[in-house]
Amino acid sequence: MKISSRSELKLDRQSFLGEDSASLLDACRVAIVGLGGGGSHVAQQLGHLGVGDFLLIDPDFVEETNLNRLVGATQEDVGKGVSKTSVTARVIAGVNPRVRIWTETAQWQVCATALRSCDVIFGCVDSISEREQLETVARRYLIPYIDLGMDVHKVNGEYIVGGQVALSMPDGPCLRCMGIVTERALELEAKRYGAAGGRPQVVWANGVLASLAVGYFVQIITPWYKGQKPPILIEFDGNTQTVAPSNKLQYLEGHRCRHFADLASLGDPFWKAQGIERMEAKV
Amino acid sequence: MRVLFKITERLLGEVKTQLGRPHPFASERVGFLLCRVGLLDGGDLIILSHSLHDVADEDYIDDSTVGAMMGPDAIRKALQVAYRQQASMFHVHLHLHQGRPGFSRTDERETARFVPDFWNVQPELPHGAIVFSGDSACGKCWIPGRKAPAEISRFGVVGIPSRRL
Repeated sequence: MKISSRSELKLDRQSFLGEDSASLLDACRVAIVGLGGGGSHVAQQLGHLGVGDFLLIDPDFVEETNLNRLVGATQEDVGKGVSKTSVTARVIAGVNPRVRIWTETAQWQVCATALRSCDVIFGCVDSISEREQLETVARRYLIPYIDLGMDVHKVNGEYIVGGQVALSMPDGPCLRCMGIVTERALELEAKRYGAAGGRPQVVWANGVLASLAVGYFVQIITPWYKGQKPPILIEFDGNTQTVAPSNKLQYLEGHRCRHFADLASLGDPFWKAQGIERMEAKV
Repeated sequence: MRVLFKITERLLGEVKTQLGRPHPFASERVGFLLCRVGLLDGGDLIILSHSLHDVADEDYIDDSTVGAMMGPDAIRKALQVAYRQQASMFHVHLHLHQGRPGFSRTDERETARFVPDFWNVQPELPHGAIVFSGDSACGKCWIPGRKAPAEISRFGVVGIPSRRL
């Protein structure tokens, strides 16, 4: 579904981002995969920033239990069975009517080819395996991938709220290098496969992580800050209300990723020259 | 169909450093970018660069009429790399000025002669030639099944910040 109309979003108050920042943001194509608590927050902020081209992907429809964190969702959406992609598209288009939005109410793997042309991909999905798969697609097409993860755990009778935002640049450490994707985590997840029940999520933690993620994005797209590069892994402690670069970074200084080092990890995995003609005929 | 090219900031820096070194007799250096390719949803072809294959000092021919002349060993080694690594190969050199560079007549003639040779070892893949200047680039891409090369219409540099050349 495509939504578009014409009216100007005034961006005078953020002109310090650079002379051409408005046009850079307008020309930018962003994918947000997963439009729950994290993704809906990211989308809202990118809408206000003036990002011009969105690919919004989520297979789910709004449920009552989403209303504690899903930005823009209403009781009415629950009653009508509105998709999360529609809610988020409505929020963005309400801020910037000139925006170009493509929505896919499906598993992202079904429309993965659409991700290839994006300038940045936000991964706001729960599972470790999906995060790894998304990152793999991003790496194949040299696309910066920003990953958000949030969790609430019960430890010794007390709830611990935490999360992290990771920036996976094509020539930098990946989620495996950062210890976010591990064999152990994948194994545990596989054992839980099919288990019912939602994981605890809270709006303020999602909001903090989404803001950090959008901060990465702004540094990638606009030239506003020429100082030190941001830490690629930032952790949020929701109990002490602190945000800090991860301690893991000390082990990643000067690190070169070996997980995506091969030439074969770039480009279409099953390239055939005849595909060019087929694609041209389709277009 | 447009042809788009992507390179990371780190690799572009390496290209400029390596090719910017003085050579014992040639007035410029050349190399090859090992790439892979993909098709985008809109029908565009994207070239994704991975690493630089340097031409060894001894594989240049001493020819003062051109900036750099590759000898047969330079081409043979590049063909070997393309074959072994299943790489799409893009010949690369620098023009040391700001603004959009262009191919010289010699560049045009020589690249048209040797770039299609890469189809002997990787017939399915596009191959090409690129010139980087201080802040811009131009390039041509030979696409399988087509005689004339296509212009590379956009160069993206991925980094913090990312930019277009």
